[in-house]
Amino acid sequence: MRSGKRILEEQYLEMRAKILALAADFDRIQRAEEGTATLADPRLNDLRACLHIVLTDEAPNRAERVQNLLSDKTPPPPYQSEKIRKS
Amino acid sequence: MKLIDPHIHCVSRTTDDYLFMSRCGVVAVSEPAFWAGFDRSSASSFGDYFHHLLDVEPKRAARYGIEHFSWLCINAKEAENVSLAREVIKLIPPLLSHPRVLGVGEIGLNKNTANEITIFEEQVEIAAQHNQLILIHTPHLVDKHKGTDIIISILKNDPRIRPERVLIDHCEEHTIRLARENGFWAGLTIYPVTKVTPQRGVDILEQFGPDMICVNSASDWGESSPSMLVDTLREYRRRGHSEAEATRVFYDNPCRFFGQSEKWTLK
Repeated sequence: MRSGKRILEEQYLEMRAKILALAADFDRIQRAEEGTATLADPRLNDLRACLHIVLTDEAPNRAERVQNLLSDKTPPPPYQSEKIRKS
Repeated sequence: MKLIDPHIHCVSRTTDDYLFMSRCGVVAVSEPAFWAGFDRSSASSFGDYFHHLLDVEPKRAARYGIEHFSWLCINAKEAENVSLAREVIKLIPPLLSHPRVLGVGEIGLNKNTANEITIFEEQVEIAAQHNQLILIHTPHLVDKHKGTDIIISILKNDPRIRPERVLIDHCEEHTIRLARENGFWAGLTIYPVTKVTPQRGVDILEQFGPDMICVNSASDWGESSPSMLVDTLREYRRRGHSEAEATRVFYDNPCRFFGQSEKWTLK
């Protein structure tokens, strides 16, 4: 099994590039017309919450928790087999 | 090394893609019926599409030494039109005995609407009545977890459906547990942006183990590529997994799932 240190050596430049790309994405939005107001878009707030999971939270399964944070949590519409199961 | 792409939409791909797959060792593919990128205007349009899948595409694939199998259904997106969907569903049972049909798929949900769920349940009924394997399409992005949950709830509620005869496709980090813990096969679709990257795909294989997981490219008319399958294999091997382990994931697993149909000829 590869060590964490080795994986970091292999991946670091790619990780650095990814976070720079994201930083530049936020800058590009801000520079655009109505950009500052757009920074309050709920989708960007979701991404900020994702970054909190990635960068400041030491718990594992970050990818799974980011996926869950970005998932619709409203209840499903009623459906036939659910009615049968509950009857 | 021999490979299988268990989910690819060859009707949307070029002959160069067949040539690429052949050069990379792909010896068989399976092609589920799907959304063509536009809503079709009539059931007869689907009749032509099914003819393309069953009779045209296998001949095209054979020129590159690739076995081609298909799945039939109306896809989740066009299932929103319930009356059209029901006309299309009527076309399916007589075709299920075709030697290139592995089962019903890719059925599932897109936006998790009541209409989609109705048509999904009706196609599960067709599969159950005809004892067919099922290939499941799970929704994308924000809708994936909820849709996967609904789909599994419906499948588990039907005692005729055996989970080991169902593959829940497009699983990601937050849905693979749902599929695996309920006894279903799981599919990992490797897409550059909107699904799972080769690196994340291999992360999932390492975290959950290779049992009952099939890796696919789901290449279609959008930004996607048969090379995603090979790139995932390369990443798997780069991390030190042996050729035998890779063969288990990229050849044996699809053979095991598809082999539950007597029409699947590869060993």
